Amino acid sequence: MPLTKQAPTRQAITLKGSTNLVTEFFKFAANTILFQRGVYPADDFHMVKKYGQTVLVTQDLALENYLDKILKQVNTWLLTGSVTQLVLAIISKDSRTTLERWVFDVNLIEPPADSSEPAPAKPEAEIQAEIRNILKQIVSTVTFLPVIDQPTVFNILAYTSESADIPADEWVDTDPLAIEASKSQQVKLRSFSTDVHRIEAMVAYRYEG
Amino acid sequence: MPEPQLSAAKRHQRTQAFTSHMASASLERQLVAAQTAKTDLETKLREKDLIIERLEGDRRWLAEREQEEREEKERERTEREEEKRKSDGELRSLRASMLNLEEQHENLKDEHSSLTRSTSQTLGSQKSHISTLTRQVFLLEEELAEYRHIAEERSHAYEELQAQLDHLNASQDSSIQQETDEESWAVVRAELHRQAEYMRTLETSNAKMNAELVMFRERQAKIEVLKEQKRGLERKVKEADELREQVGRLEAELEAARREREEWASNNAGPSTPSKTPVSITQSLANLRITHARLLEEHGSNVAVLRRREAELANSEKRCTELEESLTGLQAEVRSYRTKVARSEHDAILAEREASFLRAMVASFTAEEASQNGVRIEEATVQQVQQLEQLVADYRSTVKELEKELDALGGNSRSLNGAQAMKQLQDDIAKDQKALFEIQQTLKESENENEKYIEKIDELEQTLFELRGEIGGGRHLPPGVRVLSLKDNPAQQWEDLSQAAMERLKGENEALIKRLKELEDSGARGQGDGGSNEELVPRKSWEVVNKEKARLEEELKQKEKRLMRLQQIFHAKSAEFREAIASILGVKLAFYPNGQVRVTSQFDLNAAFVFQPTGAGEDGMKMQLVAQGEGGPEDLPQLMRYWVEQEQCIPGFLASITLQCYENDKIEREREQGRPY
Repeated sequence: MPLTKQAPTRQAITLKGSTNLVTEFFKFAANTILFQRGVYPADDFHMVKKYGQTVLVTQDLALENYLDKILKQVNTWLLTGSVTQLVLAIISKDSRTTLERWVFDVNLIEPPADSSEPAPAKPEAEIQAEIRNILKQIVSTVTFLPVIDQPTVFNILAYTSESADIPADEWVDTDPLAIEASKSQQVKLRSFSTDVHRIEAMVAYRYEG
Repeated sequence: MPEPQLSAAKRHQRTQAFTSHMASASLERQLVAAQTAKTDLETKLREKDLIIERLEGDRRWLAEREQEEREEKERERTEREEEKRKSDGELRSLRASMLNLEEQHENLKDEHSSLTRSTSQTLGSQKSHISTLTRQVFLLEEELAEYRHIAEERSHAYEELQAQLDHLNASQDSSIQQETDEESWAVVRAELHRQAEYMRTLETSNAKMNAELVMFRERQAKIEVLKEQKRGLERKVKEADELREQVGRLEAELEAARREREEWASNNAGPSTPSKTPVSITQSLANLRITHARLLEEHGSNVAVLRRREAELANSEKRCTELEESLTGLQAEVRSYRTKVARSEHDAILAEREASFLRAMVASFTAEEASQNGVRIEEATVQQVQQLEQLVADYRSTVKELEKELDALGGNSRSLNGAQAMKQLQDDIAKDQKALFEIQQTLKESENENEKYIEKIDELEQTLFELRGEIGGGRHLPPGVRVLSLKDNPAQQWEDLSQAAMERLKGENEALIKRLKELEDSGARGQGDGGSNEELVPRKSWEVVNKEKARLEEELKQKEKRLMRLQQIFHAKSAEFREAIASILGVKLAFYPNGQVRVTSQFDLNAAFVFQPTGAGEDGMKMQLVAQGEGGPEDLPQLMRYWVEQEQCIPGFLASITLQCYENDKIEREREQGRPY
């Protein structure tokens, strides 16, 4: 999957550029979550310099393939605007209950009605700073999220519109992997936005206080 | 015998003659009686005629009289009507004159009342005038008396002077001549002239004095009052005198006491202090004098107050008189206004009377016209007049109302426009203020609403967060959204993995069961008894298996039964079918298990053909002739060639065969039948 950064020299980010930026963010966010929440052993990860900081990325080939496949499809959906939400669910292996749901809302920014003058472009440095802040926040969630002391597995869900174009043999309708309302807590995380997309992050977790 | 007959007839004749005679006699008698009666009646008739004539004459006379009377009556009626008309006319004129006279009477009454009022007024004024005049006369008489007195004095002086003059004349006569006389005369004249002037001045001073006198008399009354006060003050002074006497008495007592004291002092202290007691006495005396002087001062001040009071009294009197004068003037004015008002009222009454009188006149005239001439053209005009009168009345009432309103409004009528403008302005201001107030209120309300909305927004934000949580927790799926995941995801992999482990475990389990069975068999051999069967296979599962077996056997039986039934039905149906074919087409069909069909003609059992189906063609099964029996018609090869080879129509072939066989069969039968004969 080509995650090459588009040249950010021009004044306005294109839809394609923004989509690539968002997809890339998803990749690193998912890796960070998987590492921080101990879904995969820490040995599987190696450090990579990204967004002006070090980020841990998996070396497990199967997982890499899986993520690449998902992100490729998400990229096409982002271009058509048919994906509204991406969820990374962490599930207990034994009880098969959902322990955590990392939710990323994808919103398209409506251009203003009187688009005589396009809004001033957001500098890429700013976007990167925002993304960095989100990743840092994901790291810091370890402090308040319940400790996971059981084997877990994860799944990535995509909330798409009904009219979305779906490759039938690869993608299937599935259960939303909900957390019971009585045991659910949620924390809103930071958000970041390009000129086209706005990503709002949130984590909902099972808490049996 | 004619005799008796004759005699009888004679007798009959006689009796007849007698009866006729008697009858005639009676008739004559009756005649006579009738004649007499007739004469009587004639005489009576005559008398009656006479009576009738007389009566007719009477009647005629009476009729004449009646006619005369009637004529007289008519004449009288006409006269009376004329008189009545005349009297009506007179009455009308009299009424009119009466109304006139009443009017005049009213006028006169009014005039009379006004005149009486004016006369009473004039009388009053004249009386007052007379009183003033009498007063003047009295004053003048007094003056006259005084003047007379003065005149008498003057005349006396004059006489004296005359006497002197005479005396002087006498003396001058003797000494000086007429020249001196003339000189003296001039002196006298001058003296007289002076005297007359003095007289005139005296008169004027007298008049002045008279006026002063009146004034002083009036003052006298006030002075009386003051005197009263003075008397009261004198009484107080008397009391003060009494007090003074008391003081004197007390002084005397004091002196006596001093003396006693002196005596005591002289007795006690001797002559060492002779001048002490007199000093104290003199001191007390000085005190007393001072008090006396003070009292005197008080008296003087009281007198001064009295004087001042007198002066005030005089002023007030003067003011009183002035006020009285003005009062009289005002009263006179009031009187004049009253008279004016009375006059105007009187005029109004007169005008109303006039109007009513005119109306009455009009009414009387219309009544007359109605009574005499019936409907006239002037009715319309009368109506018009009435309408106009009504209009006038209406206008008057409206004018009165307007005047009343004007009065109510007072003198502000001029400033009405300004006031109206002011009012309008005030109203506008009030309206503006009201609107401002309303606007402020609405502003407040909207602010309140704003606050409410802000609160609501907060609430909604809270609920939005919660709902986000709902969505984030995956409990709510927004409409029109699909949840997708990759088919080959880690969770699925894990699940698949666990499934595989399950399968493996099952296999292991089975193997273990097998092993167990083997062990069981070996165990059974060792124990030599089948009682351990239960231990090797669980009884429960065995029972379940047995039950299932029984059930399956039952089912099998039922199925078999059903199959048999179906076979029977099939056989019956196929037989029926074959028979039907035979009777309809004249051929018997036999189906072989290998699919071949043998067709045998009914009419020639030797003519049999075997057909074999040649697979499914486009238009159904195709039969092929594979064998033939030995029988059949003679021209079978021809038929076969034609139908089967050329036309390839097996039904046609069979039909021709059937026809041939039938013909042969018929001929054969006829031959057989013909043989025994």
